[in-house]
Amino acid sequence: MYLYALIFPIISVIAIIWFITRYFKGKNSITTVVLWSIFWIVVSLFAIFPNVSITFAQLFGITRGLDFIIILVFVILFYTVLKLYFIVDNMQNDLNTLVKEVALNNEITLDDEEE
Amino acid sequence: MGYEITLEDKNATYVVLPAYNEATRIEPVLEDIARKGYNMVIVNDGSSDNTLEVVKQSKRKFPDKIHIFSLPINRGVGIATQTGFEAVLKFNPKYIVSMDSDGQHSADDLDEVIKPLVTGEAQAVIGVRPFKDMPKTRSFANSIMNLLTRIFYKVNVSDSQTGFRAITVDALNKISINATGYLISSEFIREINDNNIPFAEVPIQTIYTPETQAKGTNVVVAFKILLQMIKHQF
Repeated sequence: MYLYALIFPIISVIAIIWFITRYFKGKNSITTVVLWSIFWIVVSLFAIFPNVSITFAQLFGITRGLDFIIILVFVILFYTVLKLYFIVDNMQNDLNTLVKEVALNNEITLDDEEE
Repeated sequence: MGYEITLEDKNATYVVLPAYNEATRIEPVLEDIARKGYNMVIVNDGSSDNTLEVVKQSKRKFPDKIHIFSLPINRGVGIATQTGFEAVLKFNPKYIVSMDSDGQHSADDLDEVIKPLVTGEAQAVIGVRPFKDMPKTRSFANSIMNLLTRIFYKVNVSDSQTGFRAITVDALNKISINATGYLISSEFIREINDNNIPFAEVPIQTIYTPETQAKGTNVVVAFKILLQMIKHQF
């Protein structure tokens, strides 16, 4: 048995517990918990039973299990980056609206200074 | 043209000046404009130097001509200009001008820039800088931006990146500006074109100093604007 077959399941369990804890603290949605749990279960599955990746690979017409895992990781990373980009973009827009409102409601007069 | 800008026209005009770290340059700009009899709305874009203090000093000299708004943090020339365009509506202007506050533009051109609005010849004006007077890299970047504005926004203008522009209040209420950075120049032209607002080009002078050259459209800014133009297609 390789070391990664032990390490990845441990990391997966910690990660899933962490997401569940955050859910109970109200910091995560249930969808996030479910999606990340599926992800970490799949990671553990691939670590313990590497041959499972070949079965999945063949489903998508990919010959090697390792190729499938690499492609899967790229897809997940791309999705994460894209999602973060949209979150940041929305936050920037909200920030701009807020900053504009603050400025518009507070015209600077010389009286402010003299007080 | 024979028409002379009157005091009444000047009183109905507000100049919007976004200012970011312009403490060393802004004072003569504001005071030149005020001496010419125009009103101003200055938007301090979260400057980290003492731009706001300098603007307040000018306001002490021209309290009725200068109105100050200040963004608590730096958000870019687009947001500062948008804020200025919204703030200016509080003062019921007829004509709104936007200018750079770094001394690149001359207050002497204000009369000529608003003249087409006052005479009814146009509802929007862009001040066209002489490209031949620009440093070569700046001229190249601006030519590229004119081409990109033509490709992405289908508008052919002589200077798509000018910060000197004027518009009537009716036309301003028709357009929608969302750009946060330097894209605002091209977006302004696109909105004018899309809303069928009659516009004119007026030649302006440009004062280039090492300081004014440090800002504005260089090749890096042009590339950023290109990315934003592509993003806005979706």
